[in-house]
Amino acid sequence: MSKNSLADLSLKMGRRTFLKLATIGASFGATSAFASSDSVRAATQEEIKNPFPGSKRVKTICSICSAGCGIVAEVHNGVWVRQDVAQDHPISEGSHCCKGIDQIDLVKSKQRIKHPMKKENGKWLRISWDQAIKEISEKMLKIRKENGPDASMFLGSAKFSLQEAFYFRKFAALWGTNNIDHVARI
Amino acid sequence: MANTWGYGAMTNHFGDVVENSKAIFMIGANSAVANPIGMKHFLQAKDRNNAKLIVIDPVYTKSAAKADHYLRIRTGTDVAFIYGLLHIIFKNGWEDEKFIESRVYGMEDIKAEAKKWTPEVTADVTGIPAEQIIQVATILAKTKPTTVVWALGITQHSTGTSNTRILPILQLVLGNMGKKGGGCNIIRGHDNVQGSTDMCCLADSLPGYYGLSDGSWKHFAQGWGVDYEWLKKRFYAKKWMNEKGFSLAKWWQGVLQEEKTYSSSPIRALWVQGTGITSMSQQVEIQKALNKLDLLVIAEPFVNEAAVLSDREDNIYILPVATQFENEGSVTATNRTSQWRTKVVDPLYESKTDHDVMFEFAKKFGFYDEFTRGMKMGIKDGEIKQVKNDFNFAEDASDEIARIVKTIGLGGWTAKRLKAHQENWHMFDPLTLKGRGAMKGEYYGLPWPSWDDKHPGSPILYDVDTPVNEGGMGFRNRFGLEHDGVSQLAEDSVTVKGSSIKGGYPEITSANIEKVLGIKLTDDEKQKIGKNWKTDYSGIIQEKCRIAGVAPYGNAKARVKVWTFPDPVPIHREPIHSPRTDLVKKHPTYGDQTNNFRVDVRFSSEQNAQDWAKDFPTMLVTMRVVNLSGAGMLERTSKYLSHITPEMFANIHPDLALNYGIRDGEDMWLHSPQGTKIKVKAHYNFSVTPDRISLPYNFAGVMQGVDLSHKYPEGTKPYATGESSNTITNYGFDIITQIPEFNAGLCRIEKA
Amino acid sequence: MSSEMSRMKFYCDDDRCIECYGCSVACSEAHELPVGISRRKVITLNDGIEGKEISTSIACMHCTDAPCEQVCPVDCFYIREDGIVLHDKEVCIGCGYCLYACPFGAPQFPRDGAFGTKGAMDKCTMCAGGPLETNSVHERELYGQNRIAEGKVPLCAAVCATNALLVGDAEEVSKVYRKRVVSRGKGA
Repeated sequence: MSKNSLADLSLKMGRRTFLKLATIGASFGATSAFASSDSVRAATQEEIKNPFPGSKRVKTICSICSAGCGIVAEVHNGVWVRQDVAQDHPISEGSHCCKGIDQIDLVKSKQRIKHPMKKENGKWLRISWDQAIKEISEKMLKIRKENGPDASMFLGSAKFSLQEAFYFRKFAALWGTNNIDHVARI
Repeated sequence: MANTWGYGAMTNHFGDVVENSKAIFMIGANSAVANPIGMKHFLQAKDRNNAKLIVIDPVYTKSAAKADHYLRIRTGTDVAFIYGLLHIIFKNGWEDEKFIESRVYGMEDIKAEAKKWTPEVTADVTGIPAEQIIQVATILAKTKPTTVVWALGITQHSTGTSNTRILPILQLVLGNMGKKGGGCNIIRGHDNVQGSTDMCCLADSLPGYYGLSDGSWKHFAQGWGVDYEWLKKRFYAKKWMNEKGFSLAKWWQGVLQEEKTYSSSPIRALWVQGTGITSMSQQVEIQKALNKLDLLVIAEPFVNEAAVLSDREDNIYILPVATQFENEGSVTATNRTSQWRTKVVDPLYESKTDHDVMFEFAKKFGFYDEFTRGMKMGIKDGEIKQVKNDFNFAEDASDEIARIVKTIGLGGWTAKRLKAHQENWHMFDPLTLKGRGAMKGEYYGLPWPSWDDKHPGSPILYDVDTPVNEGGMGFRNRFGLEHDGVSQLAEDSVTVKGSSIKGGYPEITSANIEKVLGIKLTDDEKQKIGKNWKTDYSGIIQEKCRIAGVAPYGNAKARVKVWTFPDPVPIHREPIHSPRTDLVKKHPTYGDQTNNFRVDVRFSSEQNAQDWAKDFPTMLVTMRVVNLSGAGMLERTSKYLSHITPEMFANIHPDLALNYGIRDGEDMWLHSPQGTKIKVKAHYNFSVTPDRISLPYNFAGVMQGVDLSHKYPEGTKPYATGESSNTITNYGFDIITQIPEFNAGLCRIEKA
Repeated sequence: MSSEMSRMKFYCDDDRCIECYGCSVACSEAHELPVGISRRKVITLNDGIEGKEISTSIACMHCTDAPCEQVCPVDCFYIREDGIVLHDKEVCIGCGYCLYACPFGAPQFPRDGAFGTKGAMDKCTMCAGGPLETNSVHERELYGQNRIAEGKVPLCAAVCATNALLVGDAEEVSKVYRKRVVSRGKGA
């Protein structure tokens, strides 16, 4: 197929007129020759607007740097299917660097830690949360009993939410130590 | 910075730069790489205001490539450079006398120090030609307002504290503080590094920068709803409650005990929840410490390289933590704006949110009830008490913070308001952050201080031309009422717009409120009011201040002299490992330090141990690459981001490389003064001169030439691994904050 | 057909481009491209040389008189009325002739992955999909997202960190750029 003739497109196309284009693109897609496909049907209006019908758009904030760019996450059946730009965000106005636009891949990364683990005799073993919590807390409490609360050091995160950062500081305080720090030091 | 005018945070915001700045003075920051969206605003200011971009950096960075003026500075000479500018400014009478007279204390001492730094002397020390120094000083004097932008290139030095003081001093001299388009725009790193710092996951303070004094602990015990006596008993002894803990910079010495430490116990267990271990200096020491620990707990979405560095065979646990998008809460942007981060999806796999991890262990540790009680508290009839029996994590924790953290004015940061701002972000103007429609009168994300739930947030700090109730304020009264017989309050000419008090006033306490505000408290109010504005749960001080148009923290002078510091005015001190041995005698570092954060730190003994420059002739500069951040733990697990820089490298000038017979793309060894080494690829590049090399700090997974790939749990190894630059960052720590010296070191190059 | 026909164009303002790779990663991520396929590339010339360093972002420029379309032996290219140059991967034989013709190195030839099933050429679609049913799974697999059909701006330009990369009708793009250059106090 080449150089299909489309409806007259005499409008100048700035960003605003992309919408107009959309319609044209859609009718083209739906009516052109689909000789190779035997299940041709016209795309529904919803599909043309959104390839993930029924998805919701969640506004959230990038987790990389302190600029605080807005993100629009499209969630379909509980799965983050697409990352979109937040053109109306007052700090970023849609912009992202390469890390910011790739946030969806951070969540979906294959290298995520999927379950608790411990190293035993040099081998990593999968363990349950119950076992992890039980063993770690017993060991922590034993050390606390033997050497006191200052025998533990807590390193928190600049990627905690504000509320979690507050709670991590409280966590160390209630454990009984000021041995707590995070990367603001560096 | 906090020691100059009260708060250590970005004073203005990006939109303000676009709209109002006429010059941007960027030093020790590379926004094009570290914060591209910030860079957009600077480029917009260039395009719209014809603002001049001045970049000062040891390396010709991507930001420098966009600059109108680029000054190549020698690492670790920032204080000298700024004095060189001040010398010219004072000499020509370009300082803002009125501003200094009415709002600054101690400027004579700065003038005296600046006298020494003629353009020629400055040029010799900094490596910047005298003509360029004169040219930039002239631009700063003639172009108002100028905003000063910096980041970790300034703070990460053995002289970091002096560096962060001299830049505010420059802005005070120029009268650029509290002004639109001016200010000190410090650009923070991680998404919530401002918030986590404000919440003080720090060894030397409690949330909101409350110190570790009994008064602070009592305030928190009350807000958390726990018994102070009980809390005291949680510590080894009361003494340790008031002592700074080990810091991130030198915690390993607490484990290794190779030097004297000052704690109730060596460190035996390390709990890492979201700190990239390879973003710390002294990786070899860290590796040794990890091996010696009795227990290492790591809670992360991705494998923290702490698990990989260590040779230990057991007692390492890794817990899967959800990413931020599987969690909910607010994050504080670099401009003190708080944004609610809505949960996108439920935690994946078996991961738990960070707070759930804490809750699970609090239960086992026996303090779950005390831990969570703060979320059930509330203010009733002017008193703080438990008001309900259940909680909802992020929301109730926000309200708890709003109740407790008065110092930086988080009173207005209720979950309800933060969520409303995020949901309506389209209603805010990007240039002024002002709300429209339903959000009218408020600034986006309520940049702190947002004193109470009626306050709109403060987009520009220390702006006396704006009423307090619309975000204005003077400098904070933090350093007493007088020093050497001189009042520390602002002069009478500095009245905050709309304030009922003319000129300066002290911070508000229960003792002075009636006198300062000229009011009478009722008996009931007198009974309920807290001791001062920082600890007053009743809200009375805040309310009276609002009515009077007064900032509860006072209206004082900024001080350029910090009488409690080793250097009351900042002075230039050569880096511990200086390439200019000839200057070390004239500008020596500090004497060795005893017991800061429970450890000793070597300064002069290290500097004088040998002629470092002779054996380690090349300057070592660390840098970021745009596709990676921090330890790179997150981005190196993305195939697209890793693909941009698949392996560790160092930028090296061909003339330097060829001295060692190293061709482009070949491996080379870099040796550090402390005897460590890394093997990296040489990338021929002209951004560095032949006296220095630069290398990214975002890699890990290879240690002194040894590939650690086999140590990653199956399926968790990132796409890109490499030597960590922090294996060879030189020894050195700031004398106040103990921030490591990442940016002014030396190395020796060897062909691999 | 009107002679006032608008033509969709990209333009990268090299005074703004900071080599942040936002456009390139956005493209790869949005269209789930295999690693190694760079529909959009970021290039820096004279890297590190003071006063001479320039960064820019390059992809298919959607030429008015597209050389790729002219040389294609199987005529797999088609140019939409709005100027977007697309091709039919199911017709493409992967000969690489278009790559020789293209002044920008836009055509990409994958060796593996979903895009390599026929060794067909892959390139920037200006986020307009391909000749298959709009927003069908099949279209998405072969050509990536069809954001144009959804009324959205191509992702690379939408996310550009510094608004260096502009997209839209050629005249509109030129207007935006002209405004910038004038206030910069240099150029026209």
